[in-house]
Amino acid sequence: MQRRKFLRVLLGLLGSGAAVSFAYPLLRFLAPPRTAAKQKSLVLSKGEIPAGEAKEIIYNNTPSIVINHPAKGVLAFTRVCTHLGCLVDYDKKAGRLICPCHAGTFDLDGKVMSGPPPKPLPKLPLRVEGDSIILG
Amino acid sequence: MSKGIRDWLEMRIGLDDLVKTNLTGSMVPKNVNLFYTLGFVSLVGYAIQVLSGIVLMIYYIPHPDHAFRSVQDIMSKVPYGWLFRQIHVVGSNLLVIAAFMHMITIFFMGNYKKPREMTWLGGAVMLIFTLAFCLSGYLLPWSQLSYWATTVVTSMPTAFPIVGDFLAHVLRGTEHVSGATLSRFFALHVSILPPLFLLFMAVHFLLVRRIGISSTPFGKSDEESRAWDRYQKKRHTDGYPYYPYFFQKQMFMALVYISVMFAIITFAPTLFLPVEANTPADPLKTPALIRPEWYFLAPYQMLKLIPNKFLGISIQIILVSIFIVWPFLDTHKEKNILKRPVLRGVFIALMCLWVLLMFWGMK
Repeated sequence: MQRRKFLRVLLGLLGSGAAVSFAYPLLRFLAPPRTAAKQKSLVLSKGEIPAGEAKEIIYNNTPSIVINHPAKGVLAFTRVCTHLGCLVDYDKKAGRLICPCHAGTFDLDGKVMSGPPPKPLPKLPLRVEGDSIILG
Repeated sequence: MSKGIRDWLEMRIGLDDLVKTNLTGSMVPKNVNLFYTLGFVSLVGYAIQVLSGIVLMIYYIPHPDHAFRSVQDIMSKVPYGWLFRQIHVVGSNLLVIAAFMHMITIFFMGNYKKPREMTWLGGAVMLIFTLAFCLSGYLLPWSQLSYWATTVVTSMPTAFPIVGDFLAHVLRGTEHVSGATLSRFFALHVSILPPLFLLFMAVHFLLVRRIGISSTPFGKSDEESRAWDRYQKKRHTDGYPYYPYFFQKQMFMALVYISVMFAIITFAPTLFLPVEANTPADPLKTPALIRPEWYFLAPYQMLKLIPNKFLGISIQIILVSIFIVWPFLDTHKEKNILKRPVLRGVFIALMCLWVLLMFWGMK
């Protein structure tokens, strides 16, 4: 190989190596690890949510809602719409969760009733023990 | 300019030649019209945004605990702070109008055609950057409107499998829109986008200068009818000198732009600052009537109508991509859109659809 060609190849390799070695730290810098501490459980008193009412809470750093439905019992969902991340509101009369941004509607099983959300609304695990509602 | 300074500059930089080459001796086509000034008007618009933005940065605090308060203080406590913020807010909207009109008229006159494909490409990328400026700047006041509009936009990448969540995370810095997002958008708005934009602007101007201004397709022009088989600058020797003839047109339109801006600031100060823009961001409450800025209303409404998120966002990306590379797709030799009924029809239909979706999205 000619000396000039060798130098050109070497320069190309060194340049590419330098670019790649900076690209990885840059990517990691821009997307820091998700460090959100997971909340193991959250206890609510049943008296806080009368039948037919709902309470908005923060669970695992995510806006969520606990609904005390007369027929379906106590239910909990994340409020983050699966479409584009707006927060759904509970429509007591209709018994639906409605997103104000793009009019996505979910039933009380989290299923999409209408609108563009691609996935059901994630249900949060909960159990009722005596007068306590325990999430997680 | 006094003769002394003139001679001093002439000896060092060849001032006379510079003026002759770029101003008095640079010719524009005879049939040039007011629409040709829209590029210059956009440039003036950008300059106003840069100056007013620098002034606002002196008082603005890019932290979620202080951002909203600092913007309110600029509006109510800092002497003439309201004026500079209004100039920045109204200016950003007018700039989008000027840039849109520039692109539309270029399209309508077929001036994107060979040999100006790269000029169009640069302009289209600059328009995307302009919208990115608007989007990143929109979050900075940390109002309800800005917070939730950013939530929607930064959720868009999640429509794509594998890389979607990663991209959304890069945009936000955290799981939800937060202080980390505000820092990122501030950095994007004031230090990442400006140099990128300037780079494209420099290339855009270089190409305009290097190739020469295009004539309208509605009149006779020897320069335009000449076959482009090798590079040769279009000089329009039968045209008018850029200075003072065309320069005066440009300055007139720039003054119209500034007059409209001040008319809006004076007579309709809340036009671009609705109530939600003066309500601090509440990450736990999405407002009932959330709407993006008018220029994003059509895509916003489209997302509402298309039931599949991936499909809705993909269609928009495809449409934008077609818009950017249009000169490479449209290889028809005819520049005059009046002689191309199909293209004219599609163009008008798309414009009508855009306006319809925009007004629909307002409701």
